[in-house]
Amino acid sequence: MKDFSLLDLGKRFGQLLVSLFLLLVVTFVIGRVLPTDPVGAIVGELADPATFAAMRARLGLDLPVYQQFFVYLSSLLQGDLGKAILTGNPVIEDLAAAFPATLELATLAIMLSTLIGVPLGMTAAFFRDSWFDQFARVISLVGHSIPVFWFGIFGLVVFYATLAWVGGPGRVDIYLEGLIEPRTGLLLVDSLLAGDYEVFWNAVSHIILPACILAYSAMAYITRMTRSFTLEQLNQDYVIAARAKGASNWRIVTGHLLPNIAVQLVTVLAISYGGLLEGAVVTEVVFSWPGIGQYMTNALLIGDMNAVVAGTLIIGLIFMMLNFFSDLAYLMLDPRTREVTA
Amino acid sequence: MKHVSKRLIAGAALLAIAAVSSPTWAATPNDQLVVGTSLAQVISLDPQQGSDAKTMEILANAYDRLIAFNPETSEIYGQLAESWDIDDTGITFHLRDAKFASGNPVTAADAAFSLVRLFKLNQSAAAGLKTFGFNGDNAESLIKAVDERTLRVDFAVPVIPEALLYRMSNGPGSVVDSVEVLKHVSNNDYGNEWLRTNTAGSGAFKVRRWSPNELVLLEATPNFWGEKPAMKRVLFRHVPESQAARLMLERGDIDIANALTAPDVRSFEGKEDFVIDKAKTGGFYALAMNAGREPLNNPEVRRIIAAYGIDYAGIAKTIVGPYGRARNVPAPQDWEGAIENPDWSFRPEEGKELLAKAGYPDGFSLTIKTIAQPPRVDIATAIQANLAELGIKVDVIQGSGAEIVAQHRARDFDLLMPQTSATEPTALGSLDNFTNNPDNSAAANNAGNFVWRSDWDISEMHALRVKATQELDASKRLPMVEQLQKDFIASSPAVFPMFERFEPLVLSARIHGYDAHPWGLTRLEAVTKTD
Repeated sequence: MKDFSLLDLGKRFGQLLVSLFLLLVVTFVIGRVLPTDPVGAIVGELADPATFAAMRARLGLDLPVYQQFFVYLSSLLQGDLGKAILTGNPVIEDLAAAFPATLELATLAIMLSTLIGVPLGMTAAFFRDSWFDQFARVISLVGHSIPVFWFGIFGLVVFYATLAWVGGPGRVDIYLEGLIEPRTGLLLVDSLLAGDYEVFWNAVSHIILPACILAYSAMAYITRMTRSFTLEQLNQDYVIAARAKGASNWRIVTGHLLPNIAVQLVTVLAISYGGLLEGAVVTEVVFSWPGIGQYMTNALLIGDMNAVVAGTLIIGLIFMMLNFFSDLAYLMLDPRTREVTA
Repeated sequence: MKHVSKRLIAGAALLAIAAVSSPTWAATPNDQLVVGTSLAQVISLDPQQGSDAKTMEILANAYDRLIAFNPETSEIYGQLAESWDIDDTGITFHLRDAKFASGNPVTAADAAFSLVRLFKLNQSAAAGLKTFGFNGDNAESLIKAVDERTLRVDFAVPVIPEALLYRMSNGPGSVVDSVEVLKHVSNNDYGNEWLRTNTAGSGAFKVRRWSPNELVLLEATPNFWGEKPAMKRVLFRHVPESQAARLMLERGDIDIANALTAPDVRSFEGKEDFVIDKAKTGGFYALAMNAGREPLNNPEVRRIIAAYGIDYAGIAKTIVGPYGRARNVPAPQDWEGAIENPDWSFRPEEGKELLAKAGYPDGFSLTIKTIAQPPRVDIATAIQANLAELGIKVDVIQGSGAEIVAQHRARDFDLLMPQTSATEPTALGSLDNFTNNPDNSAAANNAGNFVWRSDWDISEMHALRVKATQELDASKRLPMVEQLQKDFIASSPAVFPMFERFEPLVLSARIHGYDAHPWGLTRLEAVTKTD
């Protein structure tokens, strides 16, 4: 059985590599066939054609697309994702600088959405059709229906501009910019490591609103799915048996229900987390958050395809890894799997 | 249910505590200026490369130019040049005693290196001065350091010296520290790779940090030759969302917002804590028609669209607002030598009749391409609605700057909305973008030229413009400039201005001494703040 598991893992890893390669091909080809010209962003709109041609040759854009792809692929295999037009830096350095900002935001958002969404969904299921259930369903519907952009602006107007409860756009107040030397790139972590609690609390005040807004849209999905999973389980014989034995609701939830919906929940959370990592673009723009979403948006606007392709690959890789690990979690959490493996 | 409610309330209380336990912000300190802007187009800090207006404002404070232009008086004044002498064959500049941020002295060799570097790199930034005959081949022989403090610039062709001075006062005329730059040359790039992300100037500030899409931090340098600036730090913060910038300005987290939409600018009208200002850039929001395509190759069709088909006044009022004003003559209306605007207005019925006479009783279909940013998208949509009333069906195609500019350069469009910039505050200089096309053939591939992109052959007008640029007697030149504008209007232009282009900005009333420069070259050393 153990051999089978390793083989299964290997197969899944192979699938992951193939998916990544396909993602690379599709992104690269789309990037190259789009009628966009990154050279204009570098040399300027009014430069003469000779300057354009020289820069195009310098960037290797004068080669046929298939040759450009092989050049890119061979560099990629050596860990070189190319240089970004926007910054002149190796793309990998830019992504390493931008990604922690997104990671910090998305991680806090998934934590909030899980902490609120799972109990909310389970409670709604327990008290099906009660006012609480209706309330939870309305909350979910609103989270799904109203654009994040609108929520962002609304949140800024109410909590930042009117009530003054939170900091404004950006990761930290202007007068605290640049005081913390990045170690992990996660400002909350770095400020704690540096022992600078002023920066830490200031960063908390800046991240809490975008994180809550991101969390809300994810929470809506998590609540809805949790409610649905719970309802499915509540009708099972083992729950009825537990009730007949006099088990409390708390005992039923923690001892019986949660282990049974954990597998499905992990998948939902993984998808939500992946979605938050790659879907934070609008939130990042509204909140001037210097994350990967904003980096890629600007890269796309100036036709900086090295940055776009590398960013897409990284996000694709993360998404696939999350799926991969949720599959692994499936093996670990599903008691039937454990029995078979044993 | 009871327990659940308690837990929910506890959770909400925790969140609230987390929120309010953070310190509330203070207004920006009096020795720091914070500008909320869009840094999306800032892709190079090399002054001989970057040409975007936001880049200019950063570089104008990190670098000095030999001379600068005062928009209030239209006068040229010295920055690194204390004085200059003009003779029949060129201009001699006498430099002041100054140091770069590195501590190196500013010499005429640095100035010569910088200007030669501009033509050797030969990018968009060089376009303004190349029209005066300078290029990568002749620059070294024409621009020379005579001694440590004297720079000689010989004319390449007969030019109006004031016009050359105006163009030298633009951002690309910035003087770089050649000693520093030469340490970082690779692959014969004149230090371009290094200067893209570093600064080596003699301005009041130096760039301490540039995080693309996040911020640019300028720090006052002790080596500045002029009066010490009141601001120790100037921070340009990337705030791409206009409403977020508006809220930040209202709360005092930024001092200046210069990337606001028209409604957000208007929201500050009548508020005593804020000042609305605008820089009249001298550029235009223009409409380009492809004269190489049916039916736009018919001058009558172009005339009908331009003179009858667009509601300039309505669009100016409802859409453009603080971003500009209606203007069809290719010279801003306040500039000397600019003629009156023609009687071009929205007259759909007359336009429809004229189209029928021109052979298009059922109209036709076109596309209009525009960069997807305000107010251009809204203007394009309004033009679409206007032309529909003449029976012309227009599809709006939006794209990124990289896409739209590439298609413009490749003559791949029907209608397209470019925007122009000014490089000198004269009617003749402004005509550069609209009456200059030495060779319209496809083989010329003069893709940097707006008129060539519209495939519009204007050999006679071009010849008159060249003649005017070489006429040194202002009294003889002015009639030529006026004639050029009249000829332009009468010629059914394939690329013409629709609106003069302004850059609105809103400042906190705490800010004093901030004079928005029309070309983005706003110097900040005289800016002060009060409580």
